[in-house]
Amino acid sequence: MRARAILTTSAALILAATSLPASDIIRIASPNQVTTLDPIASAAAGNIEAFGQLYSRLLRKDPDGTLQPGLAESWEVSEDGLTYTFELREAKFSDGTDITADDVAFSLNRVAKDPASAYPAAYAPVIEFIAVDTDTVSLTLEHPSAPMLSYMEIFNAGIVSKDDVEARGADSFASDPVTSGPFMVESWRPNDRLTLAANPNYWREGYPKVAGADLIEVGDANTRSTMIMAGEVDVNRGVPWAQIEEIDASQRADVELEQSTVVYGVMPNHAAAPFNNINIRKAAAMALNREAITKAVSLGHATVATSTLPNALRFHTDEVSPPAYDPAAARALLEQEGAVGTDVTLMITPSAEQVATLLKAQWDAVGFRTTVELVDAGLWWSNLTESSYQVTVSWWYNETEDPDLAARWAVCGECGNRSYYTNYNNARVNELTEAALQETDEDARGKMYEEIQKISTEEMAQIPLYYSPFANAYASNLQGLKLTPSLQWTLEEAEFVN
Amino acid sequence: MKTLRYILIRLAQAIPVLLGVSIITFVLMAATPGDPVRLLVGDRATPETIAAIRDQYGLDEPVLIQYFTYLGNLVQGDLGASLRYRLPVFDLIVQHYPVTLFLVIYTIILTLPPVIILAVLSARNPNGFADQVIRILGVLGLAVPVFWLSLLFARLFGVTLGWFPVSGYGETFPEHLRHLFLPALSTMIWVVPILVRTLRAALLEEMNRDYVVTGLSKGLGQREIFKSHVFPNSLLPTINLFAVIVAYLLGGSVIVETVYAVPGMGKLMVDSILARDYFVVQGATLVFAVTTILVMLAVDLLSAVIDPRVAP
Amino acid sequence: MRVTPMFVIGVCMVALWCLVAFFAPLLATHDPTAIDFEAILVGPSAEHWFGTDNVGRDTYSRVIYGSRYALYIGLFGVIAPLIIGLAIGLLAGYFGGWIDTLAMRLVDITVPFPFFVLVLAIVAVLGPGVENYFIALALVGWVGYARLARAEAMVLRSSEFVLAARTMGFSHFYILMRHILPNSMSPIVVYVMTDVTLVILFGAALGFLGMGVAPPTPEWGIMIAEGQIYLASAWWISFFPGLAMVLIGIGFALIGDGLARMLRLER
Repeated sequence: MRARAILTTSAALILAATSLPASDIIRIASPNQVTTLDPIASAAAGNIEAFGQLYSRLLRKDPDGTLQPGLAESWEVSEDGLTYTFELREAKFSDGTDITADDVAFSLNRVAKDPASAYPAAYAPVIEFIAVDTDTVSLTLEHPSAPMLSYMEIFNAGIVSKDDVEARGADSFASDPVTSGPFMVESWRPNDRLTLAANPNYWREGYPKVAGADLIEVGDANTRSTMIMAGEVDVNRGVPWAQIEEIDASQRADVELEQSTVVYGVMPNHAAAPFNNINIRKAAAMALNREAITKAVSLGHATVATSTLPNALRFHTDEVSPPAYDPAAARALLEQEGAVGTDVTLMITPSAEQVATLLKAQWDAVGFRTTVELVDAGLWWSNLTESSYQVTVSWWYNETEDPDLAARWAVCGECGNRSYYTNYNNARVNELTEAALQETDEDARGKMYEEIQKISTEEMAQIPLYYSPFANAYASNLQGLKLTPSLQWTLEEAEFVN
Repeated sequence: MKTLRYILIRLAQAIPVLLGVSIITFVLMAATPGDPVRLLVGDRATPETIAAIRDQYGLDEPVLIQYFTYLGNLVQGDLGASLRYRLPVFDLIVQHYPVTLFLVIYTIILTLPPVIILAVLSARNPNGFADQVIRILGVLGLAVPVFWLSLLFARLFGVTLGWFPVSGYGETFPEHLRHLFLPALSTMIWVVPILVRTLRAALLEEMNRDYVVTGLSKGLGQREIFKSHVFPNSLLPTINLFAVIVAYLLGGSVIVETVYAVPGMGKLMVDSILARDYFVVQGATLVFAVTTILVMLAVDLLSAVIDPRVAP
Repeated sequence: MRVTPMFVIGVCMVALWCLVAFFAPLLATHDPTAIDFEAILVGPSAEHWFGTDNVGRDTYSRVIYGSRYALYIGLFGVIAPLIIGLAIGLLAGYFGGWIDTLAMRLVDITVPFPFFVLVLAIVAVLGPGVENYFIALALVGWVGYARLARAEAMVLRSSEFVLAARTMGFSHFYILMRHILPNSMSPIVVYVMTDVTLVILFGAALGFLGMGVAPPTPEWGIMIAEGQIYLASAWWISFFPGLAMVLIGIGFALIGDGLARMLRLER
């Protein structure tokens, strides 16, 4: 009966290893992948969420969203708005060395000018960051930029150690960096998890309140929900709308709907038939019952979109709207264009299956003949950037609450991304995008963004569907943690209670 | 000596096979549309940034040159670097491979007792009650989608009952056993029926052989003959099938690793295919292939031990 | 040859599904692709027997129409590997020599690929969709058939009737088609039945991984995958297609089991 003895022993072993709840490590399950720890190397969501924990910026944001001093204790802006001077506080990197003006100038010049910098758009007007002395940094601009100060807070403006990057090279740095933020890297297992430990040298006294955090990569939404209900993680990033009630009912965690800059929309390719014709776009918009779609997809948790720009951005306006739902008028418009029976291929990734089903049904009802083409994310991006698609449905978010980057990304035809590769190109919108960046008068600036939204919405640069909040689940005993609209966890403020 | 030579010859034969595998994988990846750099740098990088990084990685070289560069490095034991992580592929495999290997071996160990018990029960009285019940359960196990069943298991055993973890791998050996129990169980559901079927058939075949009939007629105990002759001889076809099953388990790990968030090779493989991380897909496929080849070699050697007639 | 009751049940189940697929328009109560904003996630009722899904489509009608895709996938997913595998296996086993060596090297290269991973990679190259799934299956699924056919052909080529046919001057082609093929079919037919089940299941798993057929096709695998997140709130979306898949799988498995016994493959 040896076999039985062995079985009993192993069963005892298994039961003995009952996992204790990690008391001061916050475990976050997220579908977003961490692929690099170098803040300039990527602007993908998983990396953005990690960068914020690793690197301090010159300014920081309170949980309520107001700008506060960060590594810079104070700053001055010259009269003409072309020179910024930052006075640094005394602070140290995770390895105990001082954070100097040299490090700051190096880090920020790197993100602004390095050819491998993934997303330097915010720093386009930058001429140079200069270390004036050990604790003073000056920034000179080619032309004024209204949101420049707030850009000193975003995810890729993190301060890295110049000595470390230069000594070990960017590649080694990218997997095991010296950090300046509330946390440092305990271990990184790519494709699995990033384990963070509190940085003992972090400049904010008494923060972070927890000993560490685990950013665990879990692609499947169902698995994430099961994990938080089983108590194996403390945070579930991205709860499917259909599982909110289930998780709330589990008593283990609560789902919070947090404001985001996420906007879902239909993206027509403006450079190809049939959607290069504004009347066809109009018919496509009028065919859609956007209220019903929003309700069906989000189970009532999202807001119907009115403008091409997200509602969480400054200067968002409710005064504009795509044409209202009117299938009869849509049909008439198609008849007038002689376009009844037009074949349309709707390219989607697997996550958009539900909304694609609704779009197809409603478009077909007014006289389009829609084929849904399912592709994976890799193919989707290459088709999109090569403009080899007719129409797709997608979403995007903006890392800042200032609309400058959003307008450049989504509706400006000459700002580098051809209006999110839809090839929408309106000279007036392009001109306003540049002018609004440089306009320092708030009211005038607001007017410009309103005009941008009016033109692009009426011309259906995209057909906005809905604004979607983040739905994240947090363990009931976790306090002070949220995800900001700029994709930053407030991990340093978070703690476990009772 | 003879065995050693046999092993060396078999390993030498594996080289052209691995070459073929690497060519096929390389062609497949080269033919896959999609740009790894775009997925790496994020949505908003401009075409100029992407071009700069592609150039840095040598992705714009002709495919043939890329392949020979890769092969040259491979011969020197260098599997290349991941495009996503800028880390050596070797490191990624060292991190993920033990997890999947553990899962596969664990599954096999959990699978053996029920397979033997059920097959013997079935074969004792063919078409009897036990045989029929086992067959129907087996058919059921084969027909249920693994991912669907896994989800139900996770909710039932993980959330409702709280008996087993629903995710991860753990840090220590007992933790591995706990964390991988549900993934192994979900895989067992369809592996057990296949193996039971084969072993049962082999047992029946052996029991009808002349020596068994003769032995019984000469008054040898049924139990004695079964234990010393029938059972060992029936293992052969089952072990052969095992080699195929291991290849299936390695591939099938994709599903259970996704459902149970197990950081193994299956997850690495799928994520790398989706991210167009060419060299990781290459390296992982080669490791899969080497594993399968070694398992097959081991099975052939084991067969020779069990039955000297199939000696190499 | 004794027909076992299990075999009869299996045949009946598969036949029933064939009838369901053929008469789907008569059996369905709704258009399987028609959305209904007023009836989203409604539970089973007199109007919607199996409830509705997340866009208000009738699950019962989708399950009924889905049988067409299941049979289509099962049938065509097996045909190409079967033909390729038979051809390679029979030629290799019958002629031996360099043809055999070549064929076995091909097998050697294909076997070490984990089947599912290769299918995934091929679907990634060609794009998702049923047709590309078939191509992937054809490229990797033939190995099992080739091995079986080769083993049978090797035994048969030295059998008396084949030798007799040779001395009577019949061509190789004639002998292969008239003697070797029919006599080597039994284990292969049994294998086909298991393979059909696996092909349908793998198709569903592709849907789970986001590489299945495009909407709004009523395919069971996609329905299960889409319904998964509603397991607690609207179980019917994934339960009924899951049940249908199990039932058709059992049908094929019972046929395979019964055939194996009837053809005395197990002895």
